[in-house]
Amino acid sequence: MVTRVALGTVFMVATLMIVSFTAIDEPARMAKFESGYEGRSVEAGAALYANNCATCHGPDGKGIAGRAPALNVADLYNGTRFREMGWGGTTRDYVYGAIASGRPRASAAFAEYPQRMPTWSREFGGPLRPDQVNNIVDFVMNWEETALLETVAEKPSDFVSVGLDLKDPVLPAGDVARGEKLTQTYGCVACHMNPDMNVAPGPGWPAKYYSGGVSIAERAATRFTAADYTGKATSAEEYLRESIVQTNAYIVPTYAANIMPVIYGEQMAAQDLADVIAYLQTIE
Amino acid sequence: MALFKLHVPILDDIKTKGWRSALVATVDQTVERITAGINVGEIRSILRGDAPQRPNPRVKPHADGFWMHMRPTFFHEQVMSLYPTFRLGWLTTYMLVFETITGLFLMLWYTPSPDIAYTNMLSLLSNVPFGLFMRDLHRLGAELMVMLVLLHMLRTFVTGSYKKPRQFTWFTGGVLLLLTLFLSFSGYLLPWDQLALWAVTIGASMAEATPVVGREVNLLVRGGADIGANGLLRFYLLHVFALPLIAFIFVGVHYYKVIIHGHSLPPGAEKVGEDTARKVPMERRMYFLPDVMTRELFWTVGWLALMVFMVTWGGWHAPLEPHADSQITPLHTTAPWYFLWLQGMLKLGDKVFFGVILPGILSGLLFVMPYLEVGPSRRYADRRVGLSIAALTVVIMSLLTFMGTPYYGVSSSPDQEVLTTLAPQTHPGLLRGTAYDELPVGDWVASGWNNAPSQGLQAVLQLYNKEIERYSDELVNAKGKMSITEIQAGLKQVTMQLEWEDNGAQASEPVIVYLHRDSGYEH
Repeated sequence: MVTRVALGTVFMVATLMIVSFTAIDEPARMAKFESGYEGRSVEAGAALYANNCATCHGPDGKGIAGRAPALNVADLYNGTRFREMGWGGTTRDYVYGAIASGRPRASAAFAEYPQRMPTWSREFGGPLRPDQVNNIVDFVMNWEETALLETVAEKPSDFVSVGLDLKDPVLPAGDVARGEKLTQTYGCVACHMNPDMNVAPGPGWPAKYYSGGVSIAERAATRFTAADYTGKATSAEEYLRESIVQTNAYIVPTYAANIMPVIYGEQMAAQDLADVIAYLQTIE
Repeated sequence: MALFKLHVPILDDIKTKGWRSALVATVDQTVERITAGINVGEIRSILRGDAPQRPNPRVKPHADGFWMHMRPTFFHEQVMSLYPTFRLGWLTTYMLVFETITGLFLMLWYTPSPDIAYTNMLSLLSNVPFGLFMRDLHRLGAELMVMLVLLHMLRTFVTGSYKKPRQFTWFTGGVLLLLTLFLSFSGYLLPWDQLALWAVTIGASMAEATPVVGREVNLLVRGGADIGANGLLRFYLLHVFALPLIAFIFVGVHYYKVIIHGHSLPPGAEKVGEDTARKVPMERRMYFLPDVMTRELFWTVGWLALMVFMVTWGGWHAPLEPHADSQITPLHTTAPWYFLWLQGMLKLGDKVFFGVILPGILSGLLFVMPYLEVGPSRRYADRRVGLSIAALTVVIMSLLTFMGTPYYGVSSSPDQEVLTTLAPQTHPGLLRGTAYDELPVGDWVASGWNNAPSQGLQAVLQLYNKEIERYSDELVNAKGKMSITEIQAGLKQVTMQLEWEDNGAQASEPVIVYLHRDSGYEH
């Protein structure tokens, strides 16, 4: 019996030692497994990309003129592309959203790619499972390192945001037609061109969409001298600029604070802002 | 006026005996209560190795305690050595309890939904400390339990322990064998990877061939036309609730029968036709406390140490293949190993006869065998026919199991076989297991394996060449091409294509494998 008890104790101690060593190793092992399955996700994504995406986006993600834009380029990863759309999330979310839901219509920003991008995720009626869409996203994001290092031959990414100040930088001359397009891509029209005044989150721009019956162009010209005005603008252009980049400086009566996104100072370039202001001043 | 009196017995003792002996007496009493009858003095006597007094105080826990009431107070010393039981009955019971405990841990981290199950597996292995450890133990335990149950059945047959009066014990054992197999089968599906989905699809479709009830039973178990969300939920409920419940009930019945008849003695120890297992003379008794208990604990601890070793330093790990995909059937996918014999049988001919009728008859015979084989003697010399049949069955089952593997009778084209050996669809294989840096970019040919610039590539090309030579009759003048390119940072593409001559130049479909630096298949 003594041998049994002694040997049994030895086994018990050995088991506990092995379990302790495992415990010490666990964080490293778990991290390694996580990078392991991320690697396998890229592999699976590569196969799915080759079968589903390469015919339009090119086998190495460089795009095909007239069919689909390049993915393996810096402006997908440095935010240029989704800034034009006013996207608020991460690049990963942007790519996932594009793949999962597809692009139903040629967007204004991508008029040179007239065909629609199919819907891929089963969530929205497409053929792929959500984990397969994630695999493809991992594969596309794996181009990020090398894409950002590339010196792009076309226009370099020299985006400078217009910032929050009302006077600095001085805005260039605005292009009304471009401004009208930008109000669509930035999503302004969703709140400010809604015919139903009771539902619209923001004051309508045309006179017929505003309860006071005057258009934004007239309101901009008169409001900054009103008694209840709390902002700092000293001209119509400054008033419009302030209402876009410093959204809470003055809230129009019957509308609420903190509804309009405060992102435009960072997302818009000076020319964009100038174009939008020029367009707003032509609205009746 | 006191409203109530608080009575603390130890304070009385301290007053009469002094605090030291009062403390000793309290400890002694507490120990005796916890052990249901063994006080400290008796424990010390046990540990010293003293012979028990008469009447033996060490049988009290069996009368007074719940945990010990079903355990016999003594065993015949002839059944306590390794032969004749090899501890297999004890080990299988231990495995059932072990699987329950590890299974409870895993249940915390798992949801039986096809949308979530695989993510849960990844999460378990990357975010839960000891997740891999518990999963590997559970899987290893399951495989070992099936083997132990089969060995236990074989041992019971060989020693003739199924004979009168133990026929029903054998019958309940057969039920437990079936329950073990189905517990293992239902658990197989739960990770929801390719291996799980397709192994279970194969198993279920074998059962579907049963005439009359096959389709209906299958529909009931799957809850749908094929294995999806309903099937997974039902398999899960079977695995964690219904089957364990029935198993515990039958273990109770089985063990009860073992106890009331007594463990059968080795065949040579009794006169032919006698069963004296219950009448143990005083001098042949081995009491449960301490001798049997220390043996049981020893085996428990030893077996646990073995399993823990196997899943850590021994390197045994449960596999996790890619996410289940009902559109893609991996080539050479098989049923779980304990059903390979069925798959082998199916390759012999008609699926209803070989898949259902014959196995059904054989299993049925297995259950009722003790009621048919009624020879009185358990001695080996008197049971030559029976023992030969047992040996033959083992041989035939092994053969059928081999025939169930893809190595036998699977007809896909030689070029596909060659390329599948390099990049298997059921497990990582040699190519994926090669280190990332050992696969240099370039175009390579199988016949040039000797000049390969790295060890890893050489091993891969050597295997490629070996497989091509194996099929050299069909693949005449074959050239095995492999080209490796790096298509992204840390991602290589390996394209393999076979060219050969057969009424003109032939080329296989290219097989493309993507390998990422971090994917870690070599572990």
